Amino acid sequence: MSKYKAVIGLEMHCEFKSNSKVFSSAKNSYNEIPNDNIAGVDMAFPGTLPVVNEKCIKDALMMSIVLHCKQPEFMYFDRKNYYYPDLPKGYQITQMTEPVGRDGYVEMECNGEKKKVFIHDIHLEEDAASLDHYYDTSCIDYNRAGVPLVELVTEPCLHTAEEAVTFLETMRSIYKYCDVSEADTKKGQIRCDVNISIMDENAIEFGTRVEVKNVNSFGGVRDAINYEIKRQSELKDAGRYHEVEQETRRWDEEAGKTIRMRSKVDAIDYKYFVDPNLPKFKIAASWLEEIKQEIPLLALERKEKYISEYGLSEYDAGVIVKEREYAEYFEECLKVGIDAKTACNWLTTQILGQINEKEITLKEFYLTPNLLKQIIDEIKKGTISSKQAKEVFYKSIEEKKEPKTFISNDMTQISDQVVLEEIITTILNENKNQVQEYKNGKDNLFDYFVGQVMKNTRGKANPVLTKEILKEKLES
Amino acid sequence: MDKTIEELHELLTNNFVTSKELVEEALKKSYEVNKKYNAFVTILDEAKETPVSENLLSGIPFGIKDNYSTKDILSTGSSNTLKNYVPFFNATAVEKLLNVGAIPVNKTVLDEFGMGGTGTTGHTGVVKNPWDSTRMTAGSSAGSACAVAAGVYPYALGSDTGDSIRKPAAYCGIVGYKPTYGMVSRFGLFPFASSLDTCGVLTRSVKDAAIVIDNMKGLDKLDMTSWDSSHIHLYQSIDGKVENKKLCYIKELCSIENYENPTEELKMHLENFKEKIKLCEKLGMKVEEISIDQKLLDALPSVYVAISCAEATSNMSNLTGIIFGPRGEGKNVTEMMMDHRTKGFSPLIKRRFVIGSYILQKENQERYLKNAQRVRRLLVDTWKNLFKTYDAIILPVGSGPAKHLDASKDLLTKDTKVLEEHLQIGNFGGFPSITIPDGFINDLPVALNITGNCYDDENVLNIAYALESAMPYKNQIAKEISHE
Amino acid sequence: MSRFTSELVDELAEKLLIGLSPEENKMVLDEFAIIDENLQKVEDIENIKNVEPMTHCLDDFTFSLREDVVTPSIPIKDALKNCEKIEGREVEVPKVVGGEN
Repeated sequence: MSKYKAVIGLEMHCEFKSNSKVFSSAKNSYNEIPNDNIAGVDMAFPGTLPVVNEKCIKDALMMSIVLHCKQPEFMYFDRKNYYYPDLPKGYQITQMTEPVGRDGYVEMECNGEKKKVFIHDIHLEEDAASLDHYYDTSCIDYNRAGVPLVELVTEPCLHTAEEAVTFLETMRSIYKYCDVSEADTKKGQIRCDVNISIMDENAIEFGTRVEVKNVNSFGGVRDAINYEIKRQSELKDAGRYHEVEQETRRWDEEAGKTIRMRSKVDAIDYKYFVDPNLPKFKIAASWLEEIKQEIPLLALERKEKYISEYGLSEYDAGVIVKEREYAEYFEECLKVGIDAKTACNWLTTQILGQINEKEITLKEFYLTPNLLKQIIDEIKKGTISSKQAKEVFYKSIEEKKEPKTFISNDMTQISDQVVLEEIITTILNENKNQVQEYKNGKDNLFDYFVGQVMKNTRGKANPVLTKEILKEKLES
Repeated sequence: MDKTIEELHELLTNNFVTSKELVEEALKKSYEVNKKYNAFVTILDEAKETPVSENLLSGIPFGIKDNYSTKDILSTGSSNTLKNYVPFFNATAVEKLLNVGAIPVNKTVLDEFGMGGTGTTGHTGVVKNPWDSTRMTAGSSAGSACAVAAGVYPYALGSDTGDSIRKPAAYCGIVGYKPTYGMVSRFGLFPFASSLDTCGVLTRSVKDAAIVIDNMKGLDKLDMTSWDSSHIHLYQSIDGKVENKKLCYIKELCSIENYENPTEELKMHLENFKEKIKLCEKLGMKVEEISIDQKLLDALPSVYVAISCAEATSNMSNLTGIIFGPRGEGKNVTEMMMDHRTKGFSPLIKRRFVIGSYILQKENQERYLKNAQRVRRLLVDTWKNLFKTYDAIILPVGSGPAKHLDASKDLLTKDTKVLEEHLQIGNFGGFPSITIPDGFINDLPVALNITGNCYDDENVLNIAYALESAMPYKNQIAKEISHE
Repeated sequence: MSRFTSELVDELAEKLLIGLSPEENKMVLDEFAIIDENLQKVEDIENIKNVEPMTHCLDDFTFSLREDVVTPSIPIKDALKNCEKIEGREVEVPKVVGGEN
């Protein structure tokens, strides 16, 4: 642990979901076949023009609202000019003058403590093409060119790698809850730039800021931050803090270190200016209001509700809100009449166990809350034991048939007093020695008799009734 | 092919001539004109006749400026950077004309990507004025103006960023019409400065201009700056009734006293203009002289350069020779792109890029770009204010007839007269603006311009039509003057 | 404000990926002197700083944003027909090294 205070700011880029791209009507989806999701403007053919996708604006506005940002009166875009082979137009359309959101915050929970992370701005832009590198050539695939990208810039208000990662996870959860992005780091949908400086604990002025570009996983963010804090601290300890330069570095995942790219003096002037091809679009207050209505309850809000209203434990509530689909499944359970604790138990143990094991999503999971209820109702009625319930559960998802198909008469518990008495009498008669021992005070033999009854009935004997009858007969 | 569209349509419908014959004639003329004046990048030998329908443009040949994207037809923007570029799609405006049976017969030369006003910077060489081949056509729609004036066909497409339709139309004695910004889709027009670029047409009569734009205009899903003009019917609305229309002209531009050492040509040009003002009054219009802040007027040319260069620098960043255009040479991608651009662009364009780039630099934007954009607004507001009182503004075009080719450097010099540049205001505000011939100086045509408020194209064309009808220059074909 | 010098002209040109001859460099300087002088005068216009820069041509027309509907991709043969170096379905360039921005 460094004795210095670290100051961290994040830039988080996330690809957003939509049918078509943000400035063209080519398909927005990952495609194995290169150059198969392209429109003319994605390759910057002369004369082609960008046309804004309404959904992308709507989703970006929704995020702006969720992050408590100020929305601009007019929506328009700027050009960020630079030459690179993955940028066919020679400029990226982004937002600089009037981002979709400014000056907001988001609440997160880090180590059980709530913390507000301040948002400098959130803006909508387009992704670049992708380059495949070979021995002495590179090949350009324009499928990704024009994919909607939302960039979020925090104020430098984070202090540890853990906070930074928690923030990213919080944002990923928000994006997924709002269904604006798959937010999948494995698919390269989230990319981060990290700004890090260190300062003495009580200092007022920030230290020298180092920017680390293109960190593509949350683990990478954590490692890059820790690496930089260590690097900068060591230099400071050694009295060589002047060697920490205001510069841009990149994260080398394999080497596990940051590598200098360029100094601040060589910073690129992107020559931003307002794109005249995309007219100023008035954002109607009524539209913002509509969007607001569509914002779902987010993870933290649901968690609080589950604890206070349904009496779930902090831990269980945390597990359930981890993914929107878990929370939705849970809430659906309540809707169909399963009580909260039962739903929680089934969801957090059996169900999540199953989907993790099978690597499927909860949406793909066969047993809907309605079907789950069939099992739970039978337990309640006492017609099946919890052990049998589990069997039914597995059979049902295995064969993809409704649970009630497996709750046959054969399975049903033996709850008939007369039938049970008959069985128990037979068993006691066959175990005369044990009965005697029990009567002599060997109490733990009681479970042995229960076991015998279960064995005899292949587990179908109603356990409560069995115990009652046994007690009665043994004590008579 | 020296007839108007209406006349040709009449001949076609009555079978006095066939579409096939028109195409053959237009192609034959194309070769003649190209030999004499170098007006075309490509002549479309494979052009085929089309069935004659009720549409006035059906069966009739026309020309396309080479900065319009044309499917399977070489489209160069008159630049070496695109000297081998064959698009796979048509510009919306072109597509619309093809759909009604119009027949493109050639692609016309322009100043490289429309950046230039001389007709001398295209990669295929200088375009000469058909009235006097020692003079320039002006630009950038140089080939289109030349071909229409020479009678290759009744109309050719142009594009106008500063005055690129209206100035060459003036120098070539024909009509040049730039509609309100966004009335015609820019999709497929190679961009120069997107906030100023406008598609338009060069014709020999106002009605022809109306007919062509009627068929080119319309809301286009592919251009967000286009708008729905289905309620506007240019051709139908022309009735020549202009009584009680109010016009104005700007004293600072039209008074000879405002010019130090005016040339004889300028004197004649302004005198001729004054006569045309009287003609307007004779037609029942009221014309008033108004005054504009000289400071604003003086800033005009530089405001134009600042805005257009800044946008152009960025717009043409896609020209790297990677996806289209000839590949440059070099050890790495950067060298390759640099080689392509260095070899591909003419010196004029390169200089403008550097200026645009300087203006866009972070530390210079406030002083140059933003101030230029502020003056743009002041000028546009001033004009819009005038349109509250006046139906249109009438002004002379340029300082006289076409300039000599050897005097052309296309440099901004200190004595650049606002008079040469004022048409740019039409682009600043997106105003509909039309140039029509209004006389001759030493056997060379000169012109006047009528500019009205946005969306008021019908009114502007109607005034132009009334004036045209009162002058003997309608549908004139260039008569080359002899230098012997 | 950075001075507009011959060195700066070359530097700007380099960043624009274009080469300039010494004559061209000189012409840029001359042209720019005029622009600079003219826009200098603009600064004298009263309240100029209060005017909102005009970034678009029209701001009083109605338009709608695009509906999120996919249109088919352009065919690969069209996309690559003007490209001088292709590899399979991709555009090939000399190996790109180093990160972008």
